[in-house]
Amino acid sequence: MKFSVFQLSRIGGRGKNEDRMGYCYTRESGLFVLADGMGGHPEGEVASQLALETVSALYQRQARPIIQDPAEFLARALMAAHQQIVRYATTKGMLDTPRTTLVAAILQGTEATWVHCGDSRLYVVRDGQLLMRTRDHSYLEQQNAGIIKFDHVNRNILFTCLGSPIKPVFDKASVSLVLGDKLLLCSDGLWGTLSDEEIVQRLAAKRVSQAVPELVESALRAGGERCDNVTVLAMEWETPDVFAVTQNMAIDTLAGDFASTIQSSHSDSMADDLDEKMIERSIAEINEAIRRTAAKKS
Amino acid sequence: MAKVKPASLAPDTMIGGYRIVRKLSAGGFGVVYLALDREGLQIAIKEYLPASLATRAPGELLPHVLPDKLSLYRLGLKSFFEEGRALAQISHGSVVSVLNFFRENETVYMVMNYLEGGTLQDFIITARDLKKDKVFRESTIRSLFDEILRGLRIVHQHKMLHLDIKPANIFVTDDNRAVLIDFGAAREVLSKEGNFIRPMYTPGFAAPEMYRRDAAMGPWTDIYAIGACMYASMQGYPPNDAPQRLEKDRLSLSMSRLRGVYSDNLIEVVEWCMALDALARPQSVFALQKELSRESERRYTKLSVSEKVRLQFDSVVSDTKKSPKVK
Repeated sequence: MKFSVFQLSRIGGRGKNEDRMGYCYTRESGLFVLADGMGGHPEGEVASQLALETVSALYQRQARPIIQDPAEFLARALMAAHQQIVRYATTKGMLDTPRTTLVAAILQGTEATWVHCGDSRLYVVRDGQLLMRTRDHSYLEQQNAGIIKFDHVNRNILFTCLGSPIKPVFDKASVSLVLGDKLLLCSDGLWGTLSDEEIVQRLAAKRVSQAVPELVESALRAGGERCDNVTVLAMEWETPDVFAVTQNMAIDTLAGDFASTIQSSHSDSMADDLDEKMIERSIAEINEAIRRTAAKKS
Repeated sequence: MAKVKPASLAPDTMIGGYRIVRKLSAGGFGVVYLALDREGLQIAIKEYLPASLATRAPGELLPHVLPDKLSLYRLGLKSFFEEGRALAQISHGSVVSVLNFFRENETVYMVMNYLEGGTLQDFIITARDLKKDKVFRESTIRSLFDEILRGLRIVHQHKMLHLDIKPANIFVTDDNRAVLIDFGAAREVLSKEGNFIRPMYTPGFAAPEMYRRDAAMGPWTDIYAIGACMYASMQGYPPNDAPQRLEKDRLSLSMSRLRGVYSDNLIEVVEWCMALDALARPQSVFALQKELSRESERRYTKLSVSEKVRLQFDSVVSDTKKSPKVK
């Protein structure tokens, strides 16, 4: 199995980043997870972190090297994550529970399987076209689907999530992949400011290592000063060749700096941007160190 | 739509007083050139030019960074500086040395000594394809890793960890020196605790603590990778990655297949380095060097009949487990 993957999370105009993302893999299976901690309740970032950690820990325990039944696994992992959050709130004696959305996908053999709860989405793009995407568990999407009818619907209001006292509602789906298919997981910071057409078109046009930073940048620009956290994790399925993944994960080398694994909860990397002065200073420091080292030697 | 890679600098281009001879390689981070310095000596120049963030038209000098990519471009630059900083402090034959660092053409360049040869990964793949019972001779493995360990010891003395030691980052020169390259992941972590970005890891070579946030990394983390490189040099392929091993550890089993081919001592050294428990590994490069050079008389213990049966049984079991689910 071989795939390229790229992930990026930016804080936008918010005080903290409550989105969490990550992936892990064995030789024959890959797990991709994204959670968006909810505002309006306490410690959203704890809820999303717990969800991510729970799902990946279960995966790492059970993928050897494949998960026997991905759909069943994902459903169980989602419920386990929910229970972890509720337990956390209980042990801390919290009046209100932390809450999060979750979308998680497993790539195995030629099949992608996913589960989602809330309004973090998964898109599947084939031949430049949207093949499918998840339907949010929000009143807005229900209305669009003709299930319910309201006069005015806030897109942000979800009827289910992880961590709430009510048992989460979730959906499972899967698709058989063909070479070049792309999967994208994102928080509402992305789809809230960019249209589906734009997301699909940009994702299809370039390698994930380029498309993801571009999508995130455009969402941030479109979102303006008060922009929500924007988190995107995308992968391109390359070949089912087993050997390739052990030898050489097709991760763009540059991704090393931005991609974190699930264990290393991401930081908002833009916080410590380099400026001109720092560049000059870094170069001067390095050359000074080279001189010192050379002097010591001679 | 295939993205056009930024054009590399043409031969005879002058940058920072060096004359470009030709492009040696290009990766996600940029381009490495063979060049000549003022005295006509061959050197290697690494140009920071991330293909996903910058473009450059053929014949041009200045890369064009898309305005909306500027912050990412700068961030990547940080890693480039980390590598320069790490290497600048070290002068050792087994560690690639950086000679100069300069800014030109609105990007940065790192001048390094030029190495001729190939990576250990190339050698392993070539040797493996010959399908001999040994990938490398034991004496070759001992002397190769002795050299690498000398370099690594210096790295650790500078309170740095390499954190991405793997066969692709061990260069074997045509004059038979082993050199550690690619310090892109190196971080100064021995002296200070706290927040730093964990580097990406390479499965098979990354110690279990690299997968965890709470665990302390130290010389033992690089030592695990050294053990894994030795494993690859003996088996011809990388070991299982740490999460798999934590689930079911087949290391001793796969090492026992090499009994009689390699000495008991060498097999034990690999298992020692690759202990899942960080405390059970050699805690310093020095401790490992001592054991590796303690080459008295090599003992070879062949497998007993019952062990052979167990091996066979296990391969049957693991084969069935691995076979894909039929739908």
